[in-house]
Amino acid sequence: MIKNFTVSVENLRAAANVCYSKSKHGLLAMFANDERQLNGKFAIYCLFDGRNPKKMLMIKATIDQKSAMEYPSLTPIIPAAAWFEREIHDLFGLTAVDNADLRPLLLHENWPADVYPLRKDFDVSTIVPEAINKKIPMAHAHGEGLFEVPVGPIHAGIIEPGHFRFTQAGEATLLLDAKLGFTHRGIEKTVEGLSLNKAFFQVERICGGCTVSHALAFCQAIETMAGVDISERAKAIRIVIAELERLYNHVGDAGNLCAGLGFAVGTSNGARLKEYLMRLNDAVAGNRFLRGMVIPGGVHYDLTPELIAEIKATLDKVVVDFEQMTGLLDENDQFLDRVNTTGLLPYQAAKELGVVGVAARASGVDYDLRRDKPYSGYDRVKFKVPVQRTGDVAARLLVRLEETFESISIIRQVLENIPTTEPKLAVPIPLIKPYMTGVGWSESARGGNIHWLMVGENNTIYRYFVRSASYANWPALPIAVPGNIIPDFPLINKSFELCYACLDR
Amino acid sequence: MVNNLISTYLIYLLGKALVLTALAPLVAGIIKKVKAFLQNRRGPGLFQLYFDIGKLLAKDSIISPTTSWIFTVTPFIYFAAAFGAAALAPVVAEVFFGTTGWQPDLFMLLYLFVLSRFFLVLAGLDAGSSFGGMGGAREMFVAVMVEPALLLASLTVALRAHSTNLTAMTLSAQTGFGGLSAIFAATAFFVVLIAETGRIPVDNPDTHLELTMIHEGMVLEYSGRRLGLIVWAVATKQLVLLVLFAALFWPFPLIIDSVAGQIVWLIVKVVLTAIALALTEMLANKMRLFKVPGFLAVASLLALLAIVAQ
Repeated sequence: MIKNFTVSVENLRAAANVCYSKSKHGLLAMFANDERQLNGKFAIYCLFDGRNPKKMLMIKATIDQKSAMEYPSLTPIIPAAAWFEREIHDLFGLTAVDNADLRPLLLHENWPADVYPLRKDFDVSTIVPEAINKKIPMAHAHGEGLFEVPVGPIHAGIIEPGHFRFTQAGEATLLLDAKLGFTHRGIEKTVEGLSLNKAFFQVERICGGCTVSHALAFCQAIETMAGVDISERAKAIRIVIAELERLYNHVGDAGNLCAGLGFAVGTSNGARLKEYLMRLNDAVAGNRFLRGMVIPGGVHYDLTPELIAEIKATLDKVVVDFEQMTGLLDENDQFLDRVNTTGLLPYQAAKELGVVGVAARASGVDYDLRRDKPYSGYDRVKFKVPVQRTGDVAARLLVRLEETFESISIIRQVLENIPTTEPKLAVPIPLIKPYMTGVGWSESARGGNIHWLMVGENNTIYRYFVRSASYANWPALPIAVPGNIIPDFPLINKSFELCYACLDR
Repeated sequence: MVNNLISTYLIYLLGKALVLTALAPLVAGIIKKVKAFLQNRRGPGLFQLYFDIGKLLAKDSIISPTTSWIFTVTPFIYFAAAFGAAALAPVVAEVFFGTTGWQPDLFMLLYLFVLSRFFLVLAGLDAGSSFGGMGGAREMFVAVMVEPALLLASLTVALRAHSTNLTAMTLSAQTGFGGLSAIFAATAFFVVLIAETGRIPVDNPDTHLELTMIHEGMVLEYSGRRLGLIVWAVATKQLVLLVLFAALFWPFPLIIDSVAGQIVWLIVKVVLTAIALALTEMLANKMRLFKVPGFLAVASLLALLAIVAQ
């Protein structure tokens, strides 16, 4: 249930303040929309979490195209709005008044200053001239003995690009600023005008590791708008697929964390277990990333009894090995010495920045969309949401380890009582009323993904917005790193498990 | 006659250095293979490092325009120092030449290590990249604690041999067992071995994370044949340290009387020590950078105890 409010732009901050104080998890998403073709106005949407389960609050403020292209910034009252406002400034040219930091977030030095790609009058095929002499300053500090360490955007490992600028006093980090968005693909723009079914393929490929959760959020947004009920068996299969995705991510991430502190045995164990799970994915979906399983209206393939048996057998094998691996980590003093008290993210920061997923739960923010905003029948499954209070690398690892066991238990529960085969696993999506809007969400391995879309004529996409879990969590990294020494950065970074692709959608 | 002996001795030293330098990549390969085995991996072949060095030596070096002559000459100095250390390393066969006259000296060997470290740190700083600077700073920070341990542990043996002459020290170490003091010294030297060969828990030779690097950070700017020389020299230095450990700190005296038998026994000890290094690396993870001095201080203290217990 989404409760909609429309306010004038002057009252945006006041309205946001009311919703913010009434919400459990604060600001979930904030984005703009160019509705000039419909009503001659730009719109700013702010999505807040409600206090009651299943409830969200949406504020819409409109900005007349003839007025000054600005709106009051929410950042002074809601720190989580900072990045959203920078992005809106980048892509729509709407200025958040009072936001002190409106440096470009996604569009870099080569993008000309007054071209706003998400406005409707910007054609997606336009070749944009290279900007010259555009400078984007990085956060820095001055003082005797301070120096800067630039890292990236090209890294030594096979990972995606991101530039980090450390201000150092010897080995100690004083300040960290990150510049991201090097591989921003403009998926939100390219899907505009595409039919929902075609757009789905791009949405599913926003990120490899979060394939299912992006697909799920997108499909649920469509299904809510279309008012279709998907079959119970399809819902159960969706849960299994979503948990299989969480499983291979969490197991792989626990292994990768060990690489951050040179614990090779943990690294190779993680890689080995992840491989079992990805081969299972391959058996289930025909590919290692579970693509093509969740589709608008249901699921594409059924889980045959043989597959169910294979899933159960693999889980039985993995759970034993994973228990051994957990023992190697949480009973290992040397290992614990590295992860305890490293990379602290305080509760207050996690709460105010709207951090989600494992990172939030490790800092004491007890929030999980599967439990708090149930979808796809998660409310009928019994599971625990692990929460830690310390907010360090160890806490994030522990949450991940516990969630892995919870995921295994969820899959087992669902497979035990899976509804019998129904003739139709996917229902067709009827024509949705043009310019209707819908929100879909899902809890990925990294946290909640929120998808919002406005449908155009003939089930096409008019505007599409994604707030991925990593988008919400990246701003937490510059809070958690200062105060640590620079050789601990890779470890802290890995514990957050931030995804570049989810940000560069 | 005397001149003859000296020239034979020089040829022997040169030959020894050549053999050790040639075998060094193989020993590095053994360590890699053991580590891979312990991680359930197949790992690269035993001779992979030969191919790597061969490939690097055939390539051009790219040299940053901001560097000075130090950056250019360091790989040669580094390699020469490792080669010289290999010539001095006690492989037992020196006994054949007796313990009088000119003999390789402990301090000469240690200073060759210091020389190579000095130049490598300067070269790391020279290119002006932040990783090189961090690597160099950390190397010195670690060296401050490693060198006393290395020196004190070696002096335990020297005290018992009444000489810093490496041949005399080897003879003394191989013909008698120093008891508790020898065990302390051996433990201290093993820790030094871990630190000096840049292994976990002090440094991580396999990492790609620039921010955590020590040794790899310093050589990050090198490429082509200069990198090849450094890689080869690092392997050689590692073998020399293993030989030192086997000759001076392995407390089991020899039963076999022939020099050939002694050398075979030494090879067995070197390989076993290499495997022990690999095992240590797999059992541990990297420690916090600022806890490294504490770990190394334990080695220094043990070495000091060894001298006291002498």
